[in-house]
Amino acid sequence: MGLNEFIFLLVGLKWTVFLSAIGFACGGITGLGVALARTSGIPVLERVTAGYIALFQGTPLLMQLFVVYYGLALMGLRLDAWVAVAIGFTLHASAYLGEIWRGAIEAVPRGQTEAAKALSLKYVSRMKDVILPQALRISLPATIGFLVQLIKGTSLAAIVGFTELARAGSIVSNQIFEPLTVFGIVGALYFAMCWPLSLYGAHLESRFAAATR
Amino acid sequence: MNYTLDFTPVINGLPSLLAACLGTLGLAVGGMVLAIIIGIGGVILRDSPIRPVRWLVKAFVELIRNTPFLVQIFFIYFALPLAGLRLDPTPTAIIALGINGGAYAIEIIRGGVQSISKGQVEAGLALGLHKSQVFRLIVLKPALRAIYPSLTSQFILLTLTTSVASAIAAYELTSVAQRIESDSFRSFEVYGAVTLFYLVMSWLLMSIFGLIQSRYFSYPVK
Amino acid sequence: MTHSTLSRRHVLLGASAALAAPALLTRPALAITPAEIKSRGKLVIGIQGDNPPFGFVNTSGKQEGLDADVGELFARELGVTVEFVPLAVANRIPALTAGRVDILFATMAMLPERAKAVQFSKPYVANYITLVAPKATLVKANADMGKLAIGVPRASVQDTQVTKNAPEGTTIRRFDDDAATIQALLSGQVQAVGGNMFYVQRLNAAKPDTFEDKLEFTRLYNGACTRLGEKEINAAANAFIDKIVANGELAKIYAKWIKVPMPTFPASVEGVSFTVS
Repeated sequence: MGLNEFIFLLVGLKWTVFLSAIGFACGGITGLGVALARTSGIPVLERVTAGYIALFQGTPLLMQLFVVYYGLALMGLRLDAWVAVAIGFTLHASAYLGEIWRGAIEAVPRGQTEAAKALSLKYVSRMKDVILPQALRISLPATIGFLVQLIKGTSLAAIVGFTELARAGSIVSNQIFEPLTVFGIVGALYFAMCWPLSLYGAHLESRFAAATR
Repeated sequence: MNYTLDFTPVINGLPSLLAACLGTLGLAVGGMVLAIIIGIGGVILRDSPIRPVRWLVKAFVELIRNTPFLVQIFFIYFALPLAGLRLDPTPTAIIALGINGGAYAIEIIRGGVQSISKGQVEAGLALGLHKSQVFRLIVLKPALRAIYPSLTSQFILLTLTTSVASAIAAYELTSVAQRIESDSFRSFEVYGAVTLFYLVMSWLLMSIFGLIQSRYFSYPVK
Repeated sequence: MTHSTLSRRHVLLGASAALAAPALLTRPALAITPAEIKSRGKLVIGIQGDNPPFGFVNTSGKQEGLDADVGELFARELGVTVEFVPLAVANRIPALTAGRVDILFATMAMLPERAKAVQFSKPYVANYITLVAPKATLVKANADMGKLAIGVPRASVQDTQVTKNAPEGTTIRRFDDDAATIQALLSGQVQAVGGNMFYVQRLNAAKPDTFEDKLEFTRLYNGACTRLGEKEINAAANAFIDKIVANGELAKIYAKWIKVPMPTFPASVEGVSFTVS
């Protein structure tokens, strides 16, 4: 494998990082909304978001990408392929992060909410200053775990025809006919992105576990 | 140009789509069984007295959990034949799913075993329970109860992952859907309908897992 | 754990949400005209990303091939810049009908059933579809295919032809693209593939002197594709193809990529209309 081929893989890698970052950032913002709605105490909101989460957690990411990719276009939206794919990952991430953060918000002891109410803190400040900082800490290992899932999940954009790392690998493998080397290197590149995150997540988890023992 | 939704291809393709659901469930169940075997074997080997074995299990878990399934299945299908190992799409898919699920199962089961403290076992023995009773009631059942939710949600995820096996032309729902889509060009309708099929399958599996849980792993109510 | 358990009741809610979604989607997609393309300053072309020498992304990430050269000429004709969208074989028609691209220069062979979904232009490439296998494999007639596992790119002409000509019960494996199909033959996962006029050349580049064409299924002509009913852009594409056929520019592109003389193109192809009626 020559330098050109490796650079081609790195261009694919750039898109993988970019898609993961957009999916995580936009999915995080939307996901926070989902988590807040899911714990709002308003039955309609809670049900709608519960259904939203179930829809995304109960269907394959590949199908979600297909439906969003073709569905957006049918709605009359002409978007670049990467935008359509990024929207797919954003929706996917918002459902998973929403569910992780719902769990974390509910894991904050009820007394905290009651105390905040007793201090006559309004909803926004109760959430922003009391509940969410604690929930964030609780959810951090799972959130990082999901980020790893998301990075790996961006490989499915390849099947929609988007040239990120996995598809770049398939193209290069077809040009130089060394699938063992190429898929080995592609795997190593993913590993190099995901492993440090996984280690950090595991480290946080064991620290929290020790703290609560 | 007006686009009107037309579900005729989905309705006409219903028999083959439903048959393909069985293909998907077959891959999923095969993958789950293999994952459990790898999971239990991995946990035992992870505590092996031989250091390289422990190290290998850890490396396996990290490697699988930090690379995409698509790359794993491509590697097994396209690259391993060059090393002399050639398998058909369906066995390849089951093995890839089993290996992937197995790596997660090792971590989940290990967590369950660790959750049983030594003190409880000693207490059980001190109360005069037989060794087999201690294992069954104090080690096995609580451990299974502890890991059951994580393990089953991992299995739901594994079931959804089977759709990626379409990339190596395995027989399952996504590849049949793609075939119908390419005959009819009704992408949104076909994929939308198939998404619902997956949702129903997830629901079905969750119901079964829930039933097993309430029958065998629920906490005793007094 | 990253994934929390779902409750079954919530899945039902999810299902009803999914059922409601199509109601939002019955809005018409927008039609496009050359005038609009000119005012936008950009032509979006759907092309293959992995099928040299027709359309492929080279290792520097640049779109190349016969389709790319023809597409670029068409953009120049309209006086706009070009944006290539590489598409998997099976995504070509959906990408066009869904409005992701303005036009396809994507090795689109003219087939009557495709002509019901998209509008073809006049032909600009001739191609033949064959069964490719290692020289040692014995295939003399269609019936011999029955004992082989045959790979094809899903939804390609090769797929249609192999499916039509192979005897009942033949194992046909459908992959996402040409890359995976060729890889499957090289890895020995299939014993033959449905190919076009370049497969042998590409396969033998990997394993010299190993593969050959075994059967020729059909001769096909490729055209540019636009959406059904879009008169102006179809007319523009036809005028453009007439022009490059007449002035020798297409012959030059042919010589560069295909290395055979440009054939004479037929005035009609059965079951396919070149103009919007």
